[in-house]
Amino acid sequence: MKILTDALAWFTDAAHWQGSDGIPTRLSEHLQLSAESVVIGALIALPLGVALGHYGRFGNLAINISNVGRAIPSFGILVIAFQVFGLGNLPIILALTALAVPPMVTNSYVALREVDPDIRDAARGMGYRELAQLVQVELPLAVPLIMAGIRTSAVQVVATATLAALIAGGGFGRYIVDGFAQQDYPKTFAGAVLVGLLALATELSLSGVERALVPRGIRMLRATAPWQSATFKTA
Amino acid sequence: MGRAVFLDIVDPWINWDWLSTHIPTVLAALEQHLVLTAIALAGGLAIALPLGVAAHRWNRLRLPVLGGLGAFYTIPSLALFALLIPYTGLGIVTAEIPLIGYNVLILARNVLVGLESVPPDILDAADGMGYRRLPRLLRIEIPLALPAIFAGVRVATVSTIGIVTITAIIGLGGLGQLIYKGLIENFHTPLVVATILSIALALVADLSLAGAQRVAVPWSRDS
Amino acid sequence: MNRRPGSAWLLAAVASVVVMVAAACGGTASPNAPASKGTITVAGFNFPESSILAELYGQALEHGGYTINYKLLLGTREVIAPAIQSGQIDLYPGYAATDLEFYNKGAGEATGDVTATAAKLNSHLSSIGLVALNPSAAVDQNAFAVTKATQAKYNLTTLSDLAPIGNQLVLGAGPECPTRPFCQPGLQNTYGIHFKDFKPLDTDGPLTRAAFKNGTIQVGLVFSSDADLTQLGLVVLQDDKHLENADNVIPILRQKVATDDVKTILNNVDAKLTTTDLVTMNAQVELLHQDADAVAKAYLQQHNYFA
Repeated sequence: MKILTDALAWFTDAAHWQGSDGIPTRLSEHLQLSAESVVIGALIALPLGVALGHYGRFGNLAINISNVGRAIPSFGILVIAFQVFGLGNLPIILALTALAVPPMVTNSYVALREVDPDIRDAARGMGYRELAQLVQVELPLAVPLIMAGIRTSAVQVVATATLAALIAGGGFGRYIVDGFAQQDYPKTFAGAVLVGLLALATELSLSGVERALVPRGIRMLRATAPWQSATFKTA
Repeated sequence: MGRAVFLDIVDPWINWDWLSTHIPTVLAALEQHLVLTAIALAGGLAIALPLGVAAHRWNRLRLPVLGGLGAFYTIPSLALFALLIPYTGLGIVTAEIPLIGYNVLILARNVLVGLESVPPDILDAADGMGYRRLPRLLRIEIPLALPAIFAGVRVATVSTIGIVTITAIIGLGGLGQLIYKGLIENFHTPLVVATILSIALALVADLSLAGAQRVAVPWSRDS
Repeated sequence: MNRRPGSAWLLAAVASVVVMVAAACGGTASPNAPASKGTITVAGFNFPESSILAELYGQALEHGGYTINYKLLLGTREVIAPAIQSGQIDLYPGYAATDLEFYNKGAGEATGDVTATAAKLNSHLSSIGLVALNPSAAVDQNAFAVTKATQAKYNLTTLSDLAPIGNQLVLGAGPECPTRPFCQPGLQNTYGIHFKDFKPLDTDGPLTRAAFKNGTIQVGLVFSSDADLTQLGLVVLQDDKHLENADNVIPILRQKVATDDVKTILNNVDAKLTTTDLVTMNAQVELLHQDADAVAKAYLQQHNYFA
């Protein structure tokens, strides 16, 4: 189809690889927005989820926070952020962070809860104190599910960062929105492909990190149920 | 002129006056939102069920089906809506093709996993009792796969409700229309009201489906 | 067998939801309503003034016995033009010069003479099944504004003043600006202004205004009939080389719906519309957050269209 050949031509045009609207610039914008949101989100979500899971408190809240989080329309939250904070990266990152936090809270909570109580008892019996038990026994066991949560968040954020272009944000969403406005469909198509590739790359690289972090013995014990790791689509 | 007056206009986050005089507008947006979501779910399920069953039955189909749907899933909805306009115009078809497509992935994946989670002993027992292929599928396998299917329907529903708002850029949007209006007219109220309603709608839908699941498959307690 | 299997429940639930939804939106017109002369779909661009104009045309037609579907805030001309050509919409409030340069692919035929511009527009529209009616006296054209601070800093009054310092300034407008002859290319070709950068924002909307406020852009595209420019401290630079031309409001519709009756109704609305009216109505919608349809209705009542 013509659109495919046109899109290919768009990618092979050297002009599209340089300058403030070039692929490298947009890529770094997109990565920056996504990475900052996920990192800030993790700094909030992981301690919260891990603490709740370790002490077994507020279970319903921790599990339902992910339901509520998923219910937030990303378009709405981005526009609200713009109207509160104006233009720039701040509103975008705040909105994306809000979307990134819930899956990580829920997953870390569940991850800690799923640690076998017998193992907890054994650790107690062996003389582990609270923090040591958490860090040396429970967390390593919880890593797979926690990483799955981070991975879900990250892929979701990368996809949703596309919408940032609607409030004058950068990143690959710019190609989609500008291409639409200029009726330059190869550009829109290119933007779609770039976002898809970036999401895929995020998924694969974080899966790799997950595999590297999980102690081999545990890796063989558990495999997360496929339907639990299905990435939720917000954009 | 009355210019000075304008400077004093404060735009509260929810202007209750505006809201009370615009209930029909809000309800119309909500209705459009429900219609778009319902079509996306019904369409998704109608395609995903047979597709999932087929991929379960014929292993060769598994990778192409999940792979193809998965690739479609990574395409941002904004791009799909924009790219479809020259072919399918501005309207429900353009909105629903991506919405249904995304749901087909979520649901087909869950149908597949659900079917695969049926214990082989039960299948043996059914075969031993004389069940033929289709009755076994309808009476044994699918009911046992329901927890996974329900989980998928819940995820698909909440996800769809969020993405429907983005269809505002092709003249639809449901509640997204109010969000878009709020953006363009620099007006807080429709934006905030629509966002809150969208969240509420998704939560109500999720809870209702959880309830329906408890009725339909009482033996499974899925979180 | 004994119990009804769960799969039947699922199918029944889904089916009943679909049926309910279908029934809810299958409502037809009440049998007592007078026969409509036909349905016309009116669209508006993605800025409030266009919603007002679309409502003006739509309500006048509605009073004339037509059933109207509104598609407001539909998008830019890049979306609306294909939509009207494919029949998905029937009518939109255009702007003579900008529409001419859109349909003639930037050939540069528009002038300050609105009659000539409208005639040229029609010569391009006739072959694609469209027609433009009488232009109104109300004008809204592209204007380029700077903040008071920028104006003072570089001592600016006209667009020509921007030429020597363009490379220190950032231009902000809707993403379609780099491809529109009256926008960035026009500034480049007519005035020789080469900006340091272009920031894609929105078509005369809150993103552009926010960008002015936080200094992301120094020059921005606004519309000459905007009601909030003074309040925002923005100054429009004079178009001394007449890049922008006769952008009078003009209804553009499909020939198929352009019956004499429809034409009369629409031309009547145009005949009395002035730029001052536009600014006043814009103020009501943009600043007071009144509804476009309420504002349009008040205007039509005030001018005795519903008498």
